[in-house]
Amino acid sequence: MNKNTKSLWQSPWGYSESFLLTLGLLLIGFALEFTVGNASFGTIVFPYNLIAGGVYIFLIALVYFLIRKKTVFKFLSGIPASIGAISGLSILVVIMGIIPQIPIEEKGIVTSLGFNRLTTSIPFLFINFYLLFILGMVVIRKLFPVKWKNWGFICSHLGLWITVFSAGLGSGDLQRLRMDLNENQIEGRAYDDKGNYLDLPLAIKLNDFKIEEFHPKLAIVDNTTGSLYEATKPSMIMIEDDLICQLHDWTIIVDEFFVTSGRIGDRYYSIIDFGAAPAAKVRVISHTKDTISGWISCGSFNRPHESLKIDERFSVLMTVPEPKRFSSEVSIFTPDGQKQEQTLEVNKSFTVNGWKIYQLSYDETMGIYSTKSVVEVVKDPWQIFVYIGIFMMMIGSVYMFWRGSKVKNEETLNGISG
Amino acid sequence: MIWNHFLLAAGISASTWLLAAFIPKRELVRNGLVLTGIASIAIFIGFLWISLGRPPLRTLGETRLWYAFFLPIIGFLTYWRWRYNWILYYSLALSLLFLFINYMHPENFSKTLMPALQSPWFVPHVVVYIFAYAFLAASSLVAIRGLYQEYKGQLQPKIMLMADNLVYLGFSFLTLGLLFGALWAKEAWGHYWTWDPKETWAFITWLGYLVYIHRRHQMPSKFKSSLWILALAFVILLICWFGVNYLPSAQYSVHTYSQQP
Repeated sequence: MNKNTKSLWQSPWGYSESFLLTLGLLLIGFALEFTVGNASFGTIVFPYNLIAGGVYIFLIALVYFLIRKKTVFKFLSGIPASIGAISGLSILVVIMGIIPQIPIEEKGIVTSLGFNRLTTSIPFLFINFYLLFILGMVVIRKLFPVKWKNWGFICSHLGLWITVFSAGLGSGDLQRLRMDLNENQIEGRAYDDKGNYLDLPLAIKLNDFKIEEFHPKLAIVDNTTGSLYEATKPSMIMIEDDLICQLHDWTIIVDEFFVTSGRIGDRYYSIIDFGAAPAAKVRVISHTKDTISGWISCGSFNRPHESLKIDERFSVLMTVPEPKRFSSEVSIFTPDGQKQEQTLEVNKSFTVNGWKIYQLSYDETMGIYSTKSVVEVVKDPWQIFVYIGIFMMMIGSVYMFWRGSKVKNEETLNGISG
Repeated sequence: MIWNHFLLAAGISASTWLLAAFIPKRELVRNGLVLTGIASIAIFIGFLWISLGRPPLRTLGETRLWYAFFLPIIGFLTYWRWRYNWILYYSLALSLLFLFINYMHPENFSKTLMPALQSPWFVPHVVVYIFAYAFLAASSLVAIRGLYQEYKGQLQPKIMLMADNLVYLGFSFLTLGLLFGALWAKEAWGHYWTWDPKETWAFITWLGYLVYIHRRHQMPSKFKSSLWILALAFVILLICWFGVNYLPSAQYSVHTYSQQP
């Protein structure tokens, strides 16, 4: 900062000018947001985003040719301007990190400034364009003349530029839809988060929905409140055959355990039936050596659950099992008459015709008896460019790890504090 | 069966590493011992993989095994490149801690891990972050020391070199962790960035250290402002690490690891 030697806006610019520029941009952005609101611009989709992106790149190149010999180029491609832009973005992201990003019905200062939907607000748009502009200038300055020793720098900076640029422009073309698949039915339509149905260039038939569950757990609940008793940890222990465990003050012994069972008379039997639920016969021994024995079951959509009262205050119960893995055996049909057999699983998606299909959910009330599978279909034509940017940044990071600090050691060691 | 092999592998790792800690002077022997310990975990993971007939990446206990495997490897690489002894011992200690947790909780080998976390990305994402946090925490200790020296009026420029290198290493891991998370999210949830509160704060943390790096690069001879930026960046990192859960925005986060995903 050269405050003492030069007045504001006098060349060369430094931190003061950089922060004022950013502040001005934010103020104009918020003023526009407050008065015009974001109703005036929607998300831009193909081909308009491509055109806008092309124009933007052209503008950056044009500005570079116009100002490359002037001192202002040094400022725009320099560190003070970068730090100003990063700080401006940080302010917005901090707001985003504190205020929940959800729709709010009642009008107020939060909604009219767009604090609850910052990523679609005008100041966020402005700051991103500004940041991309500065970053673009920085990259150009390092790119010309071409020097091999700058490759790490170019990877990280250009990678970031490509990522932000393509993620931003591509967001309008990103489609995330859901499909409800029912066993043995063909589905060709998907719905968005507003419930609008769209026809897809593919159809999916669910042949089989498979789900495995973990064993249910033992837990102690308070009889009056029904809430989980958590005096000691762990407060839940997974049931296994012949398990003997210590849960809080009680010793619990599992005498019998069935993954699927039904109650007949005064006990449960292992059966395979639609809706058959896990059950266990447990012995609960208190610290005064009182023993209570009985059956517990978590029940299912068509069978009641059963807990065992151990004293006036507490009962032992079986929790509803959590899913271990679930997958859908599907046939995927495309307009060219092709049919593909696939298995969709969480973390294992499948791509067809530019659509990526993800296993998302199922009918949770039915548990292992669900015949419905919910999948997400995503189309993200810009993904490849985002990935190129991300991989460049990764290479830049590895370079940074290997290279370590580049800060001029000489100057540091001769430096003065201040 | 599996359990006995685990005890054997963990026992070899623990004893070789403890031995390594006692002979830090004989570098060759020490490094050999460290690598033997790593190999012992690797062999056990391979054995587990074959006997389970699937990648052992499905339960918390299995995930901890991978931590215990990757931590010393990255720690050793970092030591090899930068000769920071402390990061080697730090990673060995953390690795032993994870093995010890598995030893204390045998049932963890069959404990639930929700399907979304059963991904090959889970382990690199977390391991890389553990290293980022270690380096950045160390850099902030240096910053506090620097600010204290500054307050006493006897700041040594050498301390800045230390802070810089720690931040550079930490920042490279932080960036990798962030990007691994983004790639994983795309594979698992359909989008690489959703501005989840934890993501948002991780991004703010990243920006904080980004400011520090640029400021240092431009003004290598001015220390005080940089030291304050470094101290502030660590406060943000702590918010990201622990504080997020207490913020009003956190109730919609997928990173709170509650029962319901």
